[in-house]
Amino acid sequence: MTTQRHDFNAQPFLLEELPPVGRFSLRVRPGQREALAAALGLELPTAIGQRSSAGQTEVLCLGPDEWAILTAEAERDALVAAGAAAYAQIPHSLVEVSDREITLRLSGAQALTALTAVCPRDIDAIPVGRGARTLFDSATVLLWRDGPQDFRMDVWRSFLPHVRAILDKITVELKSGL
Amino acid sequence: MSRYRIPGMGRVDPAAPVSFTFDGRRYTGLRGDTVASALLANGVHLMGRSFKYHRPRGPVSAGSEEPNALIGTSRGPGRFEPNTRATVQELRQGLVTESQNKFPSLKFDIGAVNDRAYMLFSAGFYYKTFMWPRSFWDKVYEPFIRAAAGLGKSPTEVDPDEYASRYLHTDVLVIGGGASGIAAALVAARSGARVVLVDENAEMGGSLLSDPSVRIDGRGSWAWLAEQLSQLRAAGVRLMTRTTAIGYYHQNFVGLCERLTDHLDQPPHGAPRERMWRVRAEQVVLAQGALEKPLVFDGNDRPGVMLAGSAQTYLNRYGVKVGDCAAVVTSHDSAYYTAFDLVDAGGRVAVIADTRDQVRPDLVEAARRRGIQLLTGHTVTTTYGRLRIKGVRVNPVKGGQVGAGRKIACDTLLMSGGWTPSLHLFSHTKGSLTWDADSRTFLPNHKTEACQIAGAGRGLWGYGPVIEDGVKAGLAAAEALGRTGTAFGAGVEGDRPGTGVSQKELPTDLSAGKAKAFVDYQNDVTAKDIRLAVREGMRSIEHVKRYTTNGMATDQGKMSNINGLMIAADALGKQPPQVGLTTFRPPYTPTSFGAFAGYHKGATFELTRKTPIDPWAEAQGAVFEPVSLWRRAWYFPKGGEDMHAAVARECRATRASVGMFDASTLGKIEVAGPDAVEFMNRMYTNPWTKLAPGRCRYGLLLGEDGFIRDDGVIGRLSQDLFHVTTTTGGAARVLNMMEDYLQTEWPDLNVWLTSTTEQWSTVAVNGPNARKVLEPLVEGLDMSDANFPHMSVAECTVAGLPARLFRISFTGELGFEINVPARHGLALWKAIHEAGRAYDICPYGTESMHVLRAEKGYIIVGQDTDGTVTPQDAGLDWAIGKAKKDFVGKRSLQRPDIVAPNRKQLVGLLTEDGTRLEEGAQIVLDPNQKTPMTMAGHVTSSYDSVALGRPIAMAVITGGHNRMGETVHIPMPNGTIRAKVTSTNFYDPEGERLKA
Amino acid sequence: MLLINCPYCEATLPELEFAYAGEAHIDRPADPSALSDEEWRDFLFIRTNARGPHFERWRHIHGCGRFFNAVRDTVSDRFLMTYKAGEARPVLNALEAAE
Repeated sequence: MTTQRHDFNAQPFLLEELPPVGRFSLRVRPGQREALAAALGLELPTAIGQRSSAGQTEVLCLGPDEWAILTAEAERDALVAAGAAAYAQIPHSLVEVSDREITLRLSGAQALTALTAVCPRDIDAIPVGRGARTLFDSATVLLWRDGPQDFRMDVWRSFLPHVRAILDKITVELKSGL
Repeated sequence: MSRYRIPGMGRVDPAAPVSFTFDGRRYTGLRGDTVASALLANGVHLMGRSFKYHRPRGPVSAGSEEPNALIGTSRGPGRFEPNTRATVQELRQGLVTESQNKFPSLKFDIGAVNDRAYMLFSAGFYYKTFMWPRSFWDKVYEPFIRAAAGLGKSPTEVDPDEYASRYLHTDVLVIGGGASGIAAALVAARSGARVVLVDENAEMGGSLLSDPSVRIDGRGSWAWLAEQLSQLRAAGVRLMTRTTAIGYYHQNFVGLCERLTDHLDQPPHGAPRERMWRVRAEQVVLAQGALEKPLVFDGNDRPGVMLAGSAQTYLNRYGVKVGDCAAVVTSHDSAYYTAFDLVDAGGRVAVIADTRDQVRPDLVEAARRRGIQLLTGHTVTTTYGRLRIKGVRVNPVKGGQVGAGRKIACDTLLMSGGWTPSLHLFSHTKGSLTWDADSRTFLPNHKTEACQIAGAGRGLWGYGPVIEDGVKAGLAAAEALGRTGTAFGAGVEGDRPGTGVSQKELPTDLSAGKAKAFVDYQNDVTAKDIRLAVREGMRSIEHVKRYTTNGMATDQGKMSNINGLMIAADALGKQPPQVGLTTFRPPYTPTSFGAFAGYHKGATFELTRKTPIDPWAEAQGAVFEPVSLWRRAWYFPKGGEDMHAAVARECRATRASVGMFDASTLGKIEVAGPDAVEFMNRMYTNPWTKLAPGRCRYGLLLGEDGFIRDDGVIGRLSQDLFHVTTTTGGAARVLNMMEDYLQTEWPDLNVWLTSTTEQWSTVAVNGPNARKVLEPLVEGLDMSDANFPHMSVAECTVAGLPARLFRISFTGELGFEINVPARHGLALWKAIHEAGRAYDICPYGTESMHVLRAEKGYIIVGQDTDGTVTPQDAGLDWAIGKAKKDFVGKRSLQRPDIVAPNRKQLVGLLTEDGTRLEEGAQIVLDPNQKTPMTMAGHVTSSYDSVALGRPIAMAVITGGHNRMGETVHIPMPNGTIRAKVTSTNFYDPEGERLKA
Repeated sequence: MLLINCPYCEATLPELEFAYAGEAHIDRPADPSALSDEEWRDFLFIRTNARGPHFERWRHIHGCGRFFNAVRDTVSDRFLMTYKAGEARPVLNALEAAE
């Protein structure tokens, strides 16, 4: 005889694996950030965690001289070409890492709770529209907060089975209602 | 209704009976009971046997501090737990419980002979008894100690339960849901702060639950409590019951263990048993209350002897009368309220014996009114009974002289030695304590963390002062957060203020040597033991603790520390604060391993990285091995092959035709920028300036100390771009080391590092037919030896996929490594496998890779090197750019110890009799020397080599490079093996096969 | 678990995101070959092992990836301050007074 009632069908959050996109790691000296941004046609925000976007391209500032760039697959070559054209004048590093990571999307009523199960950082303190490189369990991830309960998480490919297995456990836990 | 249940009392649900068993007998309790309260309701006090003397014991408390009533509980198959506190475990339908430390039965226990032989088991008996003769240790003492050690049975099955974790960031964490904690939480929450209130019990309220007669704000205390809880919820406070704050760490980091399902008859599907919360709070309020101390006298451990406050809890919270006729012995006012509540509920109190000469007149009057005999200035000298107390002997004390005793019949003895603030969490923070001479207790003093301490936890008594103090703590927490709180008051009627004195062991007329006056119940430490420890030279309280084991039981001294201190201080002739307390350490109460592990059990025990080709290997029945965090295909057995046969086949096939290998786990770093070559020159031992784009070089990385850290093949893709590979296990470490130099030593360099380990999936194809397999798949590259010689790299298309193609070899055969974007790794693998059919291409695993490279003498960093091996030691001088002015580790290669003769150097070994050596086996130069022998080195790698038709080994040996052809000796349990020192390059020493 | 302020992220974050990286302000000599064996030994191995304020390096390895410096009291385990790599060693007395 259980003393509590539970809705076993409630899905605490939706977990989706998003299709591949173009991903780049961009590095440039802070003094040449603006020049490179202009050459690439992107805004390169200066505050760590800050994001910008232009068309289908999104940028997240990861460090004082480091940005993650996500772009539509169709726009990859153009970005690479722009970088190559600017390189002689503005030395930088634009390394394609499209296959290094896979993006998971967590959304729904308990998406934030699910992340707090294993992320030591105060996830709720990340404002909507910003992001962070941080820890999910023992995996380093890029976390993009798109809404109060809407997150994307870029996970290194080989870490994905573990991350998914942990998320599966959290799903079962949250479904139990306890 | 059970015999000792009082209808209409308690917070249990009389309409909800719960059935459970204890030692095979079925009992019925009520929803809301603990195992202890339900057994007491059935008249059962005897619940266990003590650890050392096997003395019969019953519950002495009603809470998590319980040292006696430790039971085994079973919640179904695989769900057995030893040492569960019966006073904490809530009843659930069908719960199976059993007593511990008894044989054959709880009532008749053979081990109780220890009690008669107590002289043998006094303090320090381990150190005295098991010393001699030395030969007795293995056969007699150790088996005896092992058999006697440990309380309760360890579970034998895998824990089927799930456990969870959660991080929580909050403004205020209030620990303790009693009157002061509630007040603090309410004030803080109303100031706008995010507040969490936790309590280890099944419901909030603390001592209010045991004091229903007190009236607050014109209401009964329980009605007031209910109103406060609804106010807290309305204010958004997160209320967490069954949640124990187990440890208080730096910067207000508090561990909470939440028990979720142990109390449920049928836990919901998938519910974790426990959840570990890791809380970071701006402000912590410690409102944990106080713990009652036992009095120390002969026979104070008999079943039926209990803390007075706990008896009050059983009565008021559970509606259970702990006996028919109670005697009370006390040195504190609080026990009077227990006696009054018992009488008011229809019970009998035979006597209150107070150790104090003077007692508050209103208490005297209230006792008289109830017809309770009151004896002030009295001591208790012994108790009677075996499995349950039958009587107590009380004696007057005048001027330090103990007068004649008389026996008073009773079936329960309720004692109070006063209260001690719960200092555990505060002490975790290294907060200092101060001795309060009036109350003779330690109180919190200097704080190291942003915390407030409220209520009985800092020595206050009575609900009025405690609520007021909670309000103050809430205001202080709010203010510290830059918020403004609003005070509220609470009018308390019928409050129960009280004071008392702390005692050492009670005065007695018995011979001191015979008295068994227990200080630490669970570990059977008596007052006599503590005095003995002092007599035998223990001066520090920490030594007394370890010598006697006082305070080292699962209750971690919650009951025994202060009494032990009082006695030790007396024996030392010092004041208690000069002696001091032992250290309280986390966890506050015993905590399951599961709660600490959280999600990390079973398949998620540890993070396991898998390559894109891993599913293919799994489908082929590969056997895997862990390599750093990766799991890698170890070998691919076919048709019942064992490892030896599979590896032999894989090696043979690769040398005869062609083999393929998943090398995706190799670390890869993109080094890009105008100063890339300068950076490479500084990091690696090798010269890079003249390496042309399209060419590769073996790179050797040292630490600044000159020892080998990592190695790998590095390709120059363009003037400003290097594709660096590292060992599988070294990838993160090497990148970290490079970033360190770049960021902090050479920030002027225009070069950047990017990990591309996971961007690329890598397949190695090796063997005389490797080119023939690949050529049809490759576009945009002339793969001929003339155009694409050994140590080349090119960007091209392989199997229609964009690729970085290396011509390199870790086998000594013609070899290629193809890197494609990771999402295509499996497709590439399959395409090569298909194309290789004509050549019987053979997938091989890490074991064959190890054998093939050992045949060539290629080292594995971390196996053939161990952090003390220089390039010279490893025979890799050729990889050092001698013309370079500097590189990481260069200066160390001239250190006296590094250039000294007779360093251990890497050589090959061939055994004379053809046995395969054990990796790690020690090597000696003279097998006839006396033991302990002088070790000359050890075997680092050893394999059966199919290509050579014999086992081969690599080893580091003192002065090894000058011992070529000498014989060394490897002593093993079955005899000494002779081996000849050789070069490490066993196979194709001229390297002709690479040039094919 | 400590809280560490990353001077690059300008945020106070859990220790789990960081990795310790040894004592701070030990510069690699510009020309190691010019050093005597004793000087090189000191550079390699000799550390202060301070009881009290200790200058040390950390890396925000699971965050912005930057190495930075910190002053941590090894007795209280408290960070007195953190500052960017390359910045001058702060004066201790002022820090201690502030603590």
